[in-house]
Amino acid sequence: MNKVRAVFIHEFLTVLRSRSFLLTLFLIPLAGFATILIISNLKKDNQGTPLISIIAPSPEPKPLGLIDQSGIIQTIPESYSKLMMSSPDLESAQAALADEVISGYYVVLPDYLTSGQVDFYRSDFNPISGGNDSYVLSALLEENLLRADPQRLKLFQQPIKLETHFASTAPQRDPESALTFFLPYAVTMLFYLLILGSSSTMLNSITNEKQNRVMEILLTSMTPLQMLTGKILALGLIGLLQTAFWSGSAFMLYRLSGQTFQLPIEFALPVSLLAWGLLYFVLGYAIYASLMAGVGAMVPNLREGSQATFMVIIPLMIPLFFINTLISAPNGSISMFLSLFPLTAPIAMLTRLAATQVPFWQPALAAVLQTGTAILVVRAIAGLFRAQTLLSGQAFKMKLFFRALAGKA
Amino acid sequence: MPTIEVKQISKRFGQQIAVDHASFTVDPGEIFALLGPNGAGKTTAIRIILDIFKADSGTVSVLGGPMTEEKKNRLGYLPEERGLYQDVQMDRSLVYLATLKGLSAADASRKVDEMLKRFELYDHRKKKIKELSKGMQQKAQLIVTLIHDPELIIIDEPFSALDPVNTQMVKDLLREEREKGKCIVMCTHQMHQVEELADRLVLINEGKVVLYGGLQEIRRSYSGQEVHVHALTDLPVELPGAVRVEKDNSGYRIHLEPSATPQAFLQTLVERGVQLDKFEIAMPTLDEIFIQVVTTEGNLQ
Repeated sequence: MNKVRAVFIHEFLTVLRSRSFLLTLFLIPLAGFATILIISNLKKDNQGTPLISIIAPSPEPKPLGLIDQSGIIQTIPESYSKLMMSSPDLESAQAALADEVISGYYVVLPDYLTSGQVDFYRSDFNPISGGNDSYVLSALLEENLLRADPQRLKLFQQPIKLETHFASTAPQRDPESALTFFLPYAVTMLFYLLILGSSSTMLNSITNEKQNRVMEILLTSMTPLQMLTGKILALGLIGLLQTAFWSGSAFMLYRLSGQTFQLPIEFALPVSLLAWGLLYFVLGYAIYASLMAGVGAMVPNLREGSQATFMVIIPLMIPLFFINTLISAPNGSISMFLSLFPLTAPIAMLTRLAATQVPFWQPALAAVLQTGTAILVVRAIAGLFRAQTLLSGQAFKMKLFFRALAGKA
Repeated sequence: MPTIEVKQISKRFGQQIAVDHASFTVDPGEIFALLGPNGAGKTTAIRIILDIFKADSGTVSVLGGPMTEEKKNRLGYLPEERGLYQDVQMDRSLVYLATLKGLSAADASRKVDEMLKRFELYDHRKKKIKELSKGMQQKAQLIVTLIHDPELIIIDEPFSALDPVNTQMVKDLLREEREKGKCIVMCTHQMHQVEELADRLVLINEGKVVLYGGLQEIRRSYSGQEVHVHALTDLPVELPGAVRVEKDNSGYRIHLEPSATPQAFLQTLVERGVQLDKFEIAMPTLDEIFIQVVTTEGNLQ
C-alpha cells in the first residue's frame, strides 16, 4: 500500500509540475471564457456586438431592384426603402446592377397571379448567400394582395404563437433555442476531452518510463499491479481536479467580466447530471486509462503508442459521429444502444442526459455495465502489465493486444 | 545458507534459448562475478533471479526462499540499461526511488542528502537528470542502488561507460560493501575488470554454465604451462622442458612442453646454475581461460 501511495504521489506531482499540463490547465478556461462571452453577446443582441463585428464583419448591404410587370405592387413603403427599390424597366435594372447600386433585381412576371412566378437576377453565383433575401418581396406581395383585409394580413404576417407544454414537471428548456442544442454538444465534447486527455496521460507516463529506462528499477521495487494502481488513481484525480479548476475558472472569469451569473434555463444543468457525470467520468476513465496502459505496456515508444491509441479510442469517438442523432433523437434506438454499450456509454449517455429526460433505469444500467467492463479491462490489463511485456520492446501489434486482453498472450 | 541459489534454470524466448539449465550459488559476504560474452544469457539469468522474468524451468532461492515484495526492499539492483527520470530534479527522483524501496519520505530525503554529499553531487541536487554529465548520472544510479543499505547488490555491467577515475571509485565502493558483509553480484562481459575484485565466478556461454568456482582456483587450474623467470644470469641455450622462450620487460616468459611441470622446470634451472631472482607460475587471464574453455574443452554442463 505504501508503494501504491508513493507511485500515486510521484505521478500526481510529476504531472502537476509539467509545463504542458500547466499550459492546458490555464489555456482551456481562457478559451471557454471567450466562447461564453460570444454566446452571451449573441443571446443579448442578435444584431451583433462590437466583439462579433470584429470576429465576423458583415459588408454594407445593397438594396435589390424590383420590376413589377404584374402591376400588383403599387408602392414600396418607406420601411423597405433600404432593402428594395423600384426599377421602371429591365434596362435600367441591368444598368443599376452593373454599377453595383443594387445587388440583384426581381422581375414579377405579368401572369404572376396565375403562375406565381418571379425571376431573380444577380451578378454573382453564390448558392449559399443571398438565397433568403426574398422575404422582402414576399412581404410586399402579401401586403398588396391582402390590402383589402388588414386583419387577415396581420395574422398572415405574424408567426404562430406556439407554446410547448411538457408532461414532466422538471424545468424545461426552450426547444427552439440554439442553446438547447449547444448544451448537450458542449457536455459531449467536454467529457470526450476529459476521458481522452486523462487516459492519454497514462500512456505518456508509461512510455516515458520505458524511454527513460527506469522500468527495470521500478519492477525490482514493486509489482506491476502496484504501479498500475498508483498511476490510475493519480492520473484520475488529476483529471477530476483539472475539471474542477476549469469549471471554477470559467465561473470566476465570467464574474470578473462583469456578467451576472444567471444562466438561461437552456444552460441550467440538473444536479443529477453532475452526479452521473462524475460517475461516468470515473468509469470511462478506468476503462480507457487501463486500455491506454495496455498500449503503453506493449509499445516501445510514444510514437508507436500514438498510432495504436487511435485504434483503442475509436469507440470513444463513435458518439461524436452520432452527436446529431443523440441530440435530436435522444430516445431513439441508436441513441439508446450507444448510451448502454459500455465503451460508448461514458459519452453517449451524458449527451442524452444533457439533451432530454432519460428514465433512471437506463443510466443506472449503463453504469452497471460500465463497472463490469471496467473490472474486466483492469484485470486483463493488470495481467498484461507484467515485466516481460514491459521490457520486451517489441513492435505493437493490434492482434497481440487483443489476444493479451483476452488473456491468451 | 547461500544468498542466492540457482538450480537448473532455463528460459527460452521463441526459438532462442537464453538460459539453459544453469546452476550456481552465491554466498554472503562475497563478490561473485557472472561472466560471459554479449548475448550469453547473463542479464536474463539476473532478471530471473530478481523475479522480473519467470524461468521456464528450474528454481531460484533469494535470501532464503522465493522472491517476495519484502525481499525487494533488501536488494539493490543497477540494471545494464541505466536510466532515471530525465525531466525530474535529481533529488526528487532519488527520493521517489528510495521510497519504493521501503524508506519513509523523511528517511529517504535524509539519506539522499547524505549520499549526494558523499558522491560529491550535493551542489547539483536541484538539476534535472538530463542536465547532469554522464559520470554524474552514473553516480546517481549507484545512489539509487545503495541508498536503502541492501543485503544483496546486483550490478549489471558495473564499469560500462565509466572513465578510469569512476571505474576505480566503483571498485573501491564494491570492496567497501563487501567488507560490510554484503553479497555482491557483478554481471559483465569485461572479464579483466573483475579479476582483481571477484571471489568466485560463473562463466556462461550460449546460456550454459561453462566454468564455475573460486577465481584463484580456476586460474590455478588453468595455469602450469607458462612461467615467468627473472634471472641474474643469462639463461642456457638448451632448456629441457621448454618449448619457447620470450623476453619480456623484466625477464623471460617461458612456455613449457605439455608433459613438463613448473616444479621440474625449476629444478632444471637450478641444476644448470641459473641464478634466479624470481620464478613464478604464470596465471592465465579470464579472457584466456574463457577462450580456452569454449574452443578446446567445450561445456562443463
